[in-house]
Amino acid sequence: MRGWRAIYRRELSGFFFAPLVWILLCLALFYHAFFFLYALKRFGGEVNTSLSILLGGWPFWVLVIVLPPLLTMRMISEESRSGVLEFLLTAPVSDTAVVFGKAIAAVTVMATILSTTLLYGVVVHALGAPPDWGQLLTAWFGSILVAFLFTALGILVSASSGTPLIAAFFAIVLNVIFVAAPLAGAPTGGLLGDALSWVLEKINVISHFQGSFLTGAIDSAHVIFFVAWIAALLFLAVRVVEARRWLG
Amino acid sequence: MITVSNLTRRFGPFTAVDDISFSLDKGEVVGFLGPNGAGKTTTMRMLTGFLPVTSGSITVAGFDVLRDSLEVRRRIGYLAESVPLYPEHRVEEMLLFQGRLHGLARAESRRRGAAVLERVGMLDRSRSIVGRLSKGQRQRIGLAVALLPDPEVLILDEPTSGLDPLQRIEVRSLVGDLANERTVLFSSHILPEIEAVAARVIILHKGRIAADGPKDALVDQLGGETFVRFEGVVGPDAEAARKLLSTLPGVASVEDHGQIGIHHRFRVHGTGDLREDVGALCMQRSWAVRELSWERPTLENLFARIAFEMEIAVPDPENGPGVTPPPATAKDGPALGRLDVLETPPAPPPQASKMLYNLNPFDGGAERDLSRPKPGEIAPETGSEACPPKGETGDGGQPSRELEA
Repeated sequence: MRGWRAIYRRELSGFFFAPLVWILLCLALFYHAFFFLYALKRFGGEVNTSLSILLGGWPFWVLVIVLPPLLTMRMISEESRSGVLEFLLTAPVSDTAVVFGKAIAAVTVMATILSTTLLYGVVVHALGAPPDWGQLLTAWFGSILVAFLFTALGILVSASSGTPLIAAFFAIVLNVIFVAAPLAGAPTGGLLGDALSWVLEKINVISHFQGSFLTGAIDSAHVIFFVAWIAALLFLAVRVVEARRWLG
Repeated sequence: MITVSNLTRRFGPFTAVDDISFSLDKGEVVGFLGPNGAGKTTTMRMLTGFLPVTSGSITVAGFDVLRDSLEVRRRIGYLAESVPLYPEHRVEEMLLFQGRLHGLARAESRRRGAAVLERVGMLDRSRSIVGRLSKGQRQRIGLAVALLPDPEVLILDEPTSGLDPLQRIEVRSLVGDLANERTVLFSSHILPEIEAVAARVIILHKGRIAADGPKDALVDQLGGETFVRFEGVVGPDAEAARKLLSTLPGVASVEDHGQIGIHHRFRVHGTGDLREDVGALCMQRSWAVRELSWERPTLENLFARIAFEMEIAVPDPENGPGVTPPPATAKDGPALGRLDVLETPPAPPPQASKMLYNLNPFDGGAERDLSRPKPGEIAPETGSEACPPKGETGDGGQPSRELEA
């Protein structure tokens, strides 16, 4: 794993040298501002509810479905085309460090985007309506885990596809399936129905997130749910990068 | 330093590298040569650990490329053909990144970065953004990045492609400098590069090693024939001259390569440099000499022979575009439109075809009857001798012929 920090720093500076991240940050700010103000009006100035809309309502899920694929789409697919991947994979760092460094860089950007919620917390605190900081920070931490999961998925897709555009498209589709399939629910009864509902329960990100983090509780079971998914997806991504070597 | 044994790499049914073995000693500079698709890049990628091998083994500095991949990568500086650099970064950032990948401290990276930039002559561009540099500059930055960790082994895939001739010379001398300290394996399909830098050459062809050894020995053994090229005026009886040349000591055979104008061409095969002997004969016989040169095989010949898998004759300037024996009928062809006007009925065919001189190969040329003086020269006694071109009756004919001559 030595060397992942070099990759991380490179990726992060690469992000901020390109216009895409600035555009995304800017749009996310408007997006958050719009929904925060809307929620404030709708819930009659209820600060905690309005903030948890940003970190748990549908605007949040749209954000974490769409943004991570845009951040990760270029990471491996484009570098493979331009040959930079060849440079990284012949540098004295392991494939795992390369994938991990990239993932952490994308998660850092996502965390930055999501921390606008904290900013609003500070603002309403200063204006005399202190939010529930414990719940807010826990929800923020949980939202980063959710973003990490989708980032890992995005990197896996980027490693498997040839062009950034394809990578972004398939990553978004997979994210939607990940989130929407448990909502749709499984047909009840029968062996197939049981198996399907068992699978859906295992990918039910929303309930794992809303059941604990959003209510202000850090439950190790739910943390492990996310960590396990992230580790599995990153492991697969490393294997796919390795497979790219075999393809030449 | 590098030991490769029975290396094979397949891509599906296609075998890119087929059971090759070689080894490089410390401090050796080896040129990797081969036509496109011969397996050079594949082999280099396997050496760096980028591509896994299908079978066989590679050790670099005592470490197995597959088992101790990181140790090997730490010791190899690799410049891929595509010159992988992040276009959005500044040159110095790219160098710092490489330093961090190799675990160097920041200050150390900076110090070495300045040193390698100076070495590739790009010290003044350290603040430039990589994406805005020209191809040649990027190539040199790529080299600087590869050199930064001070690797024991340098693997350079086409390091001079895209460079202008001046930069090529610089890179060449750079690689030459490195030779004393490091093991360098570099590929190129530009033969003078290899000839200038590498003492040893490995020629790959279709995934196999076609030749491996010191450059000169290879060229002498496999490069093709050695002969003395002689061209001169030997009088009307070329066959007699050929026989006379054959009698010279050391001469094995003499080939008559025909006649251009009044000059006859011969190839004198034999042992060693026979130029002086031929020259002495010419002096004795009062033959006017136009060319007397010693043709030796070059790496180029060797390469061509291997690449085309056949006996390739030494490039033959005599049959080049400069001189063509124009067939008599060519005069009627549309290519000689201007001359059609000048010389309407065909001149006596056999004579004319032998004695015509084609000066401009591109438009069929101005053809001059060699038995007559140059137009413009006054030579009354030869003027009527041989086939006067009938076209001369036209007034416009003479000046234009003069121009061409």
